[in-house]
Amino acid sequence: MLKRLWALGALVLLAACGGGGGSSSSSGTTTTPPPATLTNLATVTVDQGPPALNTGPDAYTQDNVAYVSVTLCAPGSTTNCQTIDHVQVDTGSVGLRVFASVLNASLLSAMTPQSDTSGNPVGECYQYVDGFVFGSVRAANFQIGGESVANMPVNVMGDSGVYATVPASCSSSGGTNESNVQAFGANGIIGIGTTTTDCGSACASGGGSSAAIYYDCPSSGCSAIIGRASSTTAPFQQLPNPVAAMSVDNNGSVLVLPQAPAAGEATMTGTLYFGIGTQTNNGLGSATVYTATTSSNPSGSGLITAIYKGQALDESYLDSGTSLYLFVDSTIATCTGSGFSGFYCPASPMSLSPTIQGLNGATGSAAFTLNNAQTLFSTSNAVLPGLGANPNVAFPDGAYPNSFAFGLPFFYGRSVFTAIEGRSAGGTVGPYFAF
Amino acid sequence: MAVKLTSAGVLPLVLWVGLVAGAPAANAALGGAYDSVQADRAHFAASLKSTAAATYTVHTLTLQNGGGVKEFARPDGTVFAVSWRGPGRPDLRQLLGGYFDTMQAENGARAGPRHRRPLTVNHPDFVVESGGHSGAFWGLAMLPGTAPSGFSASDLR
Repeated sequence: MLKRLWALGALVLLAACGGGGGSSSSSGTTTTPPPATLTNLATVTVDQGPPALNTGPDAYTQDNVAYVSVTLCAPGSTTNCQTIDHVQVDTGSVGLRVFASVLNASLLSAMTPQSDTSGNPVGECYQYVDGFVFGSVRAANFQIGGESVANMPVNVMGDSGVYATVPASCSSSGGTNESNVQAFGANGIIGIGTTTTDCGSACASGGGSSAAIYYDCPSSGCSAIIGRASSTTAPFQQLPNPVAAMSVDNNGSVLVLPQAPAAGEATMTGTLYFGIGTQTNNGLGSATVYTATTSSNPSGSGLITAIYKGQALDESYLDSGTSLYLFVDSTIATCTGSGFSGFYCPASPMSLSPTIQGLNGATGSAAFTLNNAQTLFSTSNAVLPGLGANPNVAFPDGAYPNSFAFGLPFFYGRSVFTAIEGRSAGGTVGPYFAF
Repeated sequence: MAVKLTSAGVLPLVLWVGLVAGAPAANAALGGAYDSVQADRAHFAASLKSTAAATYTVHTLTLQNGGGVKEFARPDGTVFAVSWRGPGRPDLRQLLGGYFDTMQAENGARAGPRHRRPLTVNHPDFVVESGGHSGAFWGLAMLPGTAPSGFSASDLR
């Protein structure tokens, strides 16, 4: 609680390396701080991404990605620390992952490699919809805003040595290896989705996996898949949801982004709040709660229903880590320009009115305006509202899949709450989304 | 995973398939024969349940993580489609066999801004659709030319 009393300016200086919280001295003050000093938050930026992306033969700039900065310190140290910018905010995954290439050598070498029951270091593969990342699992003191988690496991993607070779059982899930900044489009990713850990019970026994696969990594290489316990408190094994592992404000988060002008804009600044209904700045207010599938659902976690043009699509989701709307509607023109395959290119901005329905039966409008992707891409804007694509090139009649994905453009102009499984948040137990 | 097929063509005939030993793991599931279904069952350490429909058989594998894989076979046993659904994306090299490399070639790194878009393939004789987010993935792969007449992609759910 002491952190909450620090003025923001002092926080940057004092808290940068205080992830363990062990070095703070008592001020003797226990009164509730005024709202101006709340520190359960981080500034979010939508911009062109790490400057390193825009160099070299594969130079590009990113769009529709929300970034925050996080601070990591070596366990037990208040000086061997680093603040990492351009870490992607992802409500559709779980766990903090950073690239080895962006970590100072002194910090990387001091981040304790997790070891398994054989005494070998632990590696991790993690799947995204278009590929996978692989690297080590190392503990660090994690800090964002005024929140912190000591000795939290972090997936250090693209780590060297025994982790340089991706296990076959990792790459066999398909898609591209995204284990470098250029391929990934960020210096790291902070997954703050609906589950408490990144694999839950699926990885609890040897050989288990979900989107996360943990490996035994002896000097001969990472091959055997191992079980890792699911815990949101020390001692950790699986990567926890960083929000779930916080000592306070740990029932979810709120991503608040401003409305974007119709034509888009160069950059955008918003706020990520930790906790739901735990402070004066993160209350549900008039938001509607839509409960989602749990990690024990055979189809997976964090799914809700979207009703679109009379069809109930029960594998839909809200995901700040997806940069566009993904849905099937063969009546909307797709782009004809080279390189724009599958993106929607309506002749003029088109108003669409999907309805969201939670497992609790609550319904509400998720209306938005779909814009012409080719027009959006003709600018250098990083904020591209109403960007959408048809993921379904083979069966455009919509026979499959039953999904409407609401990516980051949906979050523009909204406060979107993501509540964590099993945690009571504003009177409702997660998992849920609310807006 | 419960059998979700509810189309009119599905007969209420359920066969429990024993753990037949000795089946060679020669072929991958897609395009392979029944022994390839058994090879997949072993690879995934899954339970297997087979359900006969009017013109095809569905082999449902329930994976250890709670997710499921369905393999759709013609009367002669040839697997003409597979689908998956669950918290993780399964070993598609195992499921797709020789078609895996085709999928990978179609889904290499794209130039320009990175938009996480699902893996897809749209060839006349080989189709992949997929989607989801980390913790809830699904997809299908199909050999349209070998599907029995009357089979619809919606049957793959």
